Amino acid sequence: MSPPSPRLRPVAERRRVLLGGFGALAALAAGPAAFRALAEERGRRAATRAGLAFGTTVSLTLVADGSDRFEPAFRDAFSAIRAVEAAGSLFRPESALSRLNRDGTLATPDPLLLDMLRFALTLAERSGGAFDPTVQPLWTLWSEATAKGERPGPSARAEAVARVGWRHVRVEETGIHFDRPGMGVTLNGLIQGFAADQVMAALKAHGIADAFVDTGEFGASGAHADGSPWRLGLAAHGADAMSDVIAPFTGFAATSGDDATIFSPDRRDHHIFDPATGLSPTALSRVTVTAPSGLLADGLSTAAFVMGAQAGRELVQLYSGCSARFTAKV
Amino acid sequence: MNPLSLRGSRDAAWATLWRFLAGIVAALLWLLPAQAGTLGRAGMEKNFPPPLVVGERDDRIPVWPILKQEAGSYEVIAYAFESIDFARIPGFGGTAPNLLIALAPDGTFRDAKVITHHEPVFLEGLGSEPLFAFVEQYVGLSARQPIRVGRPNARAAGAAPATTVDGISMATASTRVINETMLTASLAVAREKLGFGAVNSGLRVEAKPDFEPLTLAELERRGWLKRWRVTPAEVDAAFAGTGLSDPDPGPADEAFADLAIAYLNVPTIGRTILGEAAYARLMREIGPGGHAVMVVSSGRWSPLPEDFVLGSVPDRLTLQQGGLTVNARDAAWERRDLAPDLPAGPWTILKIGDAAGFDPSAPWSLSVKVTRERGQIFPEKVAREIATEYRLPPDLFTREVPDAGPSWIDSWRARGVELGIIAAALALLVPVLSRQEALVARPQAFSLFRLGFLAFTLGFIGWYAQAQLSIVTLVGAARAAFHTGDFGFLLYDPPSLLIWAFVLVTLVIWGRGTFCGWLCPFGALQEFAAWLARPLRIRQITVPPRLDRALRQVKYVGLAAILGAAILGSPLADSLSEIEPFKTSITLYFVRSLPFVLYALGLIVLNLFVYKGFCRYLCPLGASLAVAGRLRLLDWIPRRAECGSPCQLCKVRCRYGAIAPSGRIDYPECFQCMDCVTIIHDPTQCVPQVLAAKRGKRAVLQPVAAE
Repeated sequence: MSPPSPRLRPVAERRRVLLGGFGALAALAAGPAAFRALAEERGRRAATRAGLAFGTTVSLTLVADGSDRFEPAFRDAFSAIRAVEAAGSLFRPESALSRLNRDGTLATPDPLLLDMLRFALTLAERSGGAFDPTVQPLWTLWSEATAKGERPGPSARAEAVARVGWRHVRVEETGIHFDRPGMGVTLNGLIQGFAADQVMAALKAHGIADAFVDTGEFGASGAHADGSPWRLGLAAHGADAMSDVIAPFTGFAATSGDDATIFSPDRRDHHIFDPATGLSPTALSRVTVTAPSGLLADGLSTAAFVMGAQAGRELVQLYSGCSARFTAKV
Repeated sequence: MNPLSLRGSRDAAWATLWRFLAGIVAALLWLLPAQAGTLGRAGMEKNFPPPLVVGERDDRIPVWPILKQEAGSYEVIAYAFESIDFARIPGFGGTAPNLLIALAPDGTFRDAKVITHHEPVFLEGLGSEPLFAFVEQYVGLSARQPIRVGRPNARAAGAAPATTVDGISMATASTRVINETMLTASLAVAREKLGFGAVNSGLRVEAKPDFEPLTLAELERRGWLKRWRVTPAEVDAAFAGTGLSDPDPGPADEAFADLAIAYLNVPTIGRTILGEAAYARLMREIGPGGHAVMVVSSGRWSPLPEDFVLGSVPDRLTLQQGGLTVNARDAAWERRDLAPDLPAGPWTILKIGDAAGFDPSAPWSLSVKVTRERGQIFPEKVAREIATEYRLPPDLFTREVPDAGPSWIDSWRARGVELGIIAAALALLVPVLSRQEALVARPQAFSLFRLGFLAFTLGFIGWYAQAQLSIVTLVGAARAAFHTGDFGFLLYDPPSLLIWAFVLVTLVIWGRGTFCGWLCPFGALQEFAAWLARPLRIRQITVPPRLDRALRQVKYVGLAAILGAAILGSPLADSLSEIEPFKTSITLYFVRSLPFVLYALGLIVLNLFVYKGFCRYLCPLGASLAVAGRLRLLDWIPRRAECGSPCQLCKVRCRYGAIAPSGRIDYPECFQCMDCVTIIHDPTQCVPQVLAAKRGKRAVLQPVAAE
């Protein structure tokens, strides 16, 4: 899970995780003459709009027949992102989730928050607790300790781990409650994927079939304006080079890595926690999952990161249309 | 028709006119759109053209992220916004300026432009270019620092360049409003987007002077002298995935880098490391508010390579606080001042300026940048930063949070001397004008006093203190009353405010004359022009009485037009206000485009033929004072039964035509020159008294008679 890190690390860092081909191709979408000519021949135009959400940059590239269709589509797509933020972003102190964490209970919860939380709890059950949306107390522990230049000791970790437990969250249509004091939920392990789903749905409603969405995790449908398929490059670890390219890319992809928000320079301690130990999982440095929905891709990548390559692969295989790529820790 | 009923019907006409105007205003106010940012996406894209990307507007506050695409991902390079959405500070003309500001994520101004402004001194005066240039000075400065407007050329004269911008002479009030707008709007955005703006600005943290004799070992034990050993494994981990290994690997158990880090301002640390004398010398050198951080490197790899230039900014060492880089520079300090027990190796004492906003009582981090190369011929450099944290107990410091007084307090403080002089002059004027009999006793002296005071009014109040009252202030007040609701702009010009206050009081006592005849610099200028032209024996043109009466009403029409435009929110008010030559002649010393200069000079020449023709016929400020002067409590100019019938001496002598043939004083036209007052108290001049003396009787001075 990746709770928020507004101060600890520049946002750009995490964006290196998964980028590559898309950047180059997005530039081409509106770029060089040859591609543009090809696109115009097909009567297709492309437009990209960037913005800020979930504490990072997001961008949407749309392809349509007429440029007058872009503005309303962008408007609704960004509204979809804002709605997801208002439901479950921990970057927003007034979001439904932030209020739940503050009060320990939330009446008449936002339907989007219910969707995400229900999925999170189901995934927690199916992953045997490896994915746990209630690890927020661990984030608080680690970020506060790191700000003081310390590493939490075993007793402090044990105290925080005792406040973790997805079974102690009760989700009902009328309200969400924590059964124990001091609990906290984070949906950062799946919210960006969920946002990609919501954006795709908003675009579909506008009849836009060709789009590439980067909400922090990625989604694509259809093809470029010039007819060529979308491609998704997976960056090599810690460098700007690509290690792998998914092409053609449609559907959704999400990556969990150990280099997004780190608590120690060697990336031993970072933003993904093993709910059982309160430490970061040690086996993997990166997991990328492709899936038919962003929610699945994002949630599974986080779960698989905690479970390790073998158990992770078994979990991913339970879901049809999903596959995972693992990079072992160096 | 007797005069009383005449006045009554005029009042009724005024009342009707005002009701009519108020009706129009009320109707139009509904149609006015609320003032708000105007640029929209299109305007932002125009100001931030490709390759920059204008991101989707923030959904809560009107801020546009400005992004740059790099290697496939977007990076925020600035947050752009219009100041009017965050800080609506009325300018000198009463309307808030609107600035386009782009704030980089580290809090520096990336862009600053004027979108709209109504500052009278720039509109058609100095021109807007000086204002544009003024605003551009902010680019590169940090919004984390309180920035002050200095004198023109202040930066060249040695003012702190990170916290001072050069002011513009003759536009002090306007530049302060712009500065306030810049900072208030930026801090409002910074609070939302950058996580500062609430507390840190202007914060002063200083090490307490307490000294505790400690050894180096004890300093190190407490972590005040921090030893930081970077192992080869940590460096390799930072480069993991790049496929790059250390080109010059040492033994695995030897430290890659070994640094000793200390914050020297705290006497216990600084004096232990430097000794008392060198510590004192260093503190003197870095200056008040400055900070010194020592780094001594003894590992295999040094962040201070052999080609490091003394006094430069080290590129392998970065000091960070709160996620932002702190500007630090080598202080070129000699090694022999450092404690001999410190490890041998390259050293630096980094100097952090007052302007950096560094808070030594809060944790900060020092990072080293390690570079490895890929390829042989044109090697690609890959850099990684490794950081450590340094913190000292907060109780070693005193923290002084400045009380954030509004910037107009500065204006008052800075102009204290001018205010004192003007106040003294006003205090002198009051008794002279009240003790009428004294004028007669020494007519020569009074005449000298008058010339002297007018010279003061023109030279000091007008040209030096820039306190020529103007219709522009009323325009601003009208805009504030009907649109912005903020009268704060009045506070930025203390001398004018002082004179306004004095004028409002004297208005109630004596009428408009005190200002128009004594405190108006342009009036004084006209009077001097007439005085100097006396040898020319220019004959005054006699304006026929009917025409004279008609012309006197012109100024009221002008006033109504200007105030009407201001109330309706029309920019026309600024143009119409140009009927005043004050800006040209007093504010700008006649250094202005030709038509304006010709107009002002023309009025002064007119004055030689029709004495103070501008004041009597055209001046909208005079008109406003004449209207308000109807509140006057005293008919303070004494009259005799003989005044008007048969005696016409005062009427003929009055250069302002303010005495009716009936002998009645027309106070709205009276400039309080005291000529008639002198005559009436002087037994040798006042005709009825002279005649009475000839008849051997004492004439009875009647107290003020009815008009």
